[in-house]
Amino acid sequence: MSTVNSIEVENLRRVFTRRTPRKLPWQRNRQVNGNELCVTGSDKSGNQPKTTVAVDGISFEIQSGEIFGLLGPNGAGKTTTIKMLCTLLEPTSGTARVGGYDIVREPAKVRGSMGTVFSGERSLYWKLTGRENLEYFAALYDVEPSTTASKIDSLLSKMDLESKSNEPVERYSTGMRQRLAVARALLADPPVVLLDEPTAGLDPQSARNLRDTVRSLRDEGHTILLTTHYMAEADELCNRIAIIDHGRIIALDTPAALKAGLQEMHSLEVEVDRAPDGVLDELRSLPLVRGVESHASNNGLETWTIRVLTEDSRQTLDALLDLLRASGDRVLNMKANEPTLEDVFIALTGKSLRD
Amino acid sequence: MAKFSKWLCSQLRLIGATARKEFIIFTRYPANAVLSLIEPLMWLTPLYFMGKAFSVGGHAVGFEGFTGTSDYFSFVMVGAFMSSYIAVAFWGMAYSIEEDMILGVLEPNWVTPANRVSILLGRSIMFALLTTVQSLGVLLIGALLFNVKVSGDIFVALLIIVPMLIAIFGLGLGLAGIVLAIRRAQTAIDMSNWVFSQISGMQFPVTVLPKPLMAVALTLPATYGYDAVRSVLLGTNPLLPMKQEIMILVTSAIVMCIVGRAVFYTFDRRCRRLGTIGGH
Ligand SMILES: Nc1ncnc2c1ncn2[C@@H]1O[C@H](COP(=O)(O)OP(=O)(O)OP(=O)(O)O)[C@@H](O)[C@H]1O
Ligand SMILES: [Mg+2]
Repeated sequence: MSTVNSIEVENLRRVFTRRTPRKLPWQRNRQVNGNELCVTGSDKSGNQPKTTVAVDGISFEIQSGEIFGLLGPNGAGKTTTIKMLCTLLEPTSGTARVGGYDIVREPAKVRGSMGTVFSGERSLYWKLTGRENLEYFAALYDVEPSTTASKIDSLLSKMDLESKSNEPVERYSTGMRQRLAVARALLADPPVVLLDEPTAGLDPQSARNLRDTVRSLRDEGHTILLTTHYMAEADELCNRIAIIDHGRIIALDTPAALKAGLQEMHSLEVEVDRAPDGVLDELRSLPLVRGVESHASNNGLETWTIRVLTEDSRQTLDALLDLLRASGDRVLNMKANEPTLEDVFIALTGKSLRD
Repeated sequence: MAKFSKWLCSQLRLIGATARKEFIIFTRYPANAVLSLIEPLMWLTPLYFMGKAFSVGGHAVGFEGFTGTSDYFSFVMVGAFMSSYIAVAFWGMAYSIEEDMILGVLEPNWVTPANRVSILLGRSIMFALLTTVQSLGVLLIGALLFNVKVSGDIFVALLIIVPMLIAIFGLGLGLAGIVLAIRRAQTAIDMSNWVFSQISGMQFPVTVLPKPLMAVALTLPATYGYDAVRSVLLGTNPLLPMKQEIMILVTSAIVMCIVGRAVFYTFDRRCRRLGTIGGH
């Protein structure tokens, strides 16, 4: 094979075991006669360890120079995957290699060949200036001392932080902190960069700038693994996407190919005047309907949008309207759309990414 | 050989960078910095008057029977200096791990290829330096206000303090590992620091302790550190011949470093297995 894989993940699995808080003796005795005590892994008995399968046997390969996206809803296992790859967390089973190094057997080499950008903005020293942060971490990444100063200057200017470089990070905006975190990840010029929800919490303009930065990193030859729960972001940015839900990869392909799988489908959007909870299951059971989700319309009018993915809108529409009327929902607006990545997710899981 | 010296250089740089970072953060809280430098005076002063209240004609007679010196205040002050170095292990190393967890900066440190022991070493060196500045300040004020006279050989005292500092570093490593595991450790650190300093004789000669407690005291290397330094500086009667005390200190320095490192890496690994590194 001519292409080189920068990241190889094979059947990676991570289970968290957590003891639920101990019940006091008198609370415990009450249940002694019940069957609950025998259920392993349940939290009913109070003292059984509760297990969460955060990542459930995922496999994928990321080629050098690729932007690879892990797309999934809250709790899907994205951060857990990132943490295993950056050696903060040991996998329960399975293996992964970063830059050819095994994450369990050669953690120091793995750490040396990648930069990690964590989600959230607390990962910097707020009392230090941007430059001081980079100076400190340059020593940790063992950046050649003679080139450290020029490296930091060029990263600061690349991330558009020059003017604020001598101010403490506590006075930065969220977007600036995120850019500084990216600069830190690039200090050692690592072949691989991991970004966990890099645009979470950013305003649209800053998010767009950050996506431009990620693209330019790819163009400079870095291999990028990022997580996101924004469909549009994954669609726009990634060469390939793994859709992850409940710790499993349920689809993996280029954005175009993922959407092409739905070419025959139609996506209907119906705006109604109240939360349509009762009717969703009925909609799902209509013939030809492949997925249904709903969310608040986000237009300031307190209306709700139902999204229905169907194999033929002409045949679904009438039944759909009947059902909504029967349940007393008022239909305010309606659109038929080309399928998006969001629809891919709905088709695969029957629910929305937003859940 | 070239490889080793390159490794050594990068470790020294790492230690320096960590110490520098720690110092900058210290100065970013100026009020705290100033207060922490004069704080020891606050709790030393009452001890001066206490010692005075118990003395007859400037001599603490009962005390002299136990130690061979009648100058209680100097005895306590040397004890206080030594304990502030012990506090470096408890607060400078162990507690700072907890602080990093709360701030959220532990993970970014831990994903770099940097040697974690060197990071902790850099930190403890900075704290030890700040403690030294603090101690010198107190000593100066003590000499001016409280008539403290140090007669012995300060150079020999330093030679005793060095193995003790190394032992303290080993202790700090082990404690840092334990904090990685139990995370919310502030109270435990406070208690164990206090008990450890007291039992090893920070404020009184361990010979006044009842037999079982004294037995505990004699197993703690710090006891010999306090004892040896006091003997050199103040002319107190040592518990054991000086040579033996120094031997004990040097041996414990080596043992504590080996054990501390092993404990640290054991808990670090455990943390990675359990997935608790990001929490607090
Ligand atoms: N340290 C932990 N202990 C116990 N359970 C955990 C731990 N970390 C994560 N989990 C659980 O593992 C699952 C996956 O969490 P993870 O943080 O990987 O999700 P995520 O895809 O990053 O979600 P988000 O989009 O909200 O960041 C969740 O159910 C979470 O509760
Ligand atoms: Mg996450």
